[in-house]
Amino acid sequence: MALRAAVLRHIRLPVQTLPAAGSRPQSQLSFLRLFSSHDDHLTKEEVIDRVLDVVKSFPKVDPSQVTPDVHFQNDLGLDSLDNVEIVMALEEEFKLEIPDKEADKIDSCNLAIEYIYNHPLAG
Amino acid sequence: MSGATTAAYLARRAAQKERVRILYRRALKDTLNWAVHRHLFYQDASDLREKFEANKHVEDLDTIDKMIVAGEATYNKWRHPDPYIVPWAPGGSKFTRNPVPPSGIEIVYDYGREEND
Repeated sequence: MALRAAVLRHIRLPVQTLPAAGSRPQSQLSFLRLFSSHDDHLTKEEVIDRVLDVVKSFPKVDPSQVTPDVHFQNDLGLDSLDNVEIVMALEEEFKLEIPDKEADKIDSCNLAIEYIYNHPLAG
Repeated sequence: MSGATTAAYLARRAAQKERVRILYRRALKDTLNWAVHRHLFYQDASDLREKFEANKHVEDLDTIDKMIVAGEATYNKWRHPDPYIVPWAPGGSKFTRNPVPPSGIEIVYDYGREEND
């Protein structure tokens, strides 16, 4: 026991100071393994990345114009039927089932990201 | 029924457009249900899109109504008997599989301890 105490007295572990308050808590949580069943909600940046990837891979869309707050019909010049197709592609990407009335209202990237982020079962 | 853009005309057109969008969405999902393989689905989806685009320019309200009704009848005729539904959605396999237990009920972990004193 004395040896152990002596050894421990001489070992110094480097202390990591946490970064300043500007860091997002969620990016640190992604390195922790939390064992609750409710911690697998998507982070906002993941949702944004995946939504933008889906929109950029749409053949009628110019990928350089896609930003997180772009409107499908006004900014990207898409048709209302194209809007329906994009919402279907988002449903397939996130394994969601969006009711028809809700899906009709999703008109821009903003609304899509908000809806998916607030959906509890977004995969 | 003059061609003037009155509020009633616009409201009716907007309702028709919403019906068309919902019909297109359901028809597209149905197409995916029937054509499981992706390359077949893409061909069928573009055929469906051509059908919708061919009637895009129609202006007369009654003709549009008739076309929407005919389209919905075709959709109802071709509906898949076993559509793919996301498991947690109504109709899916996981729907209400693990409902939340009612509040106020809990298990008392006393492991059979008896307080007989």
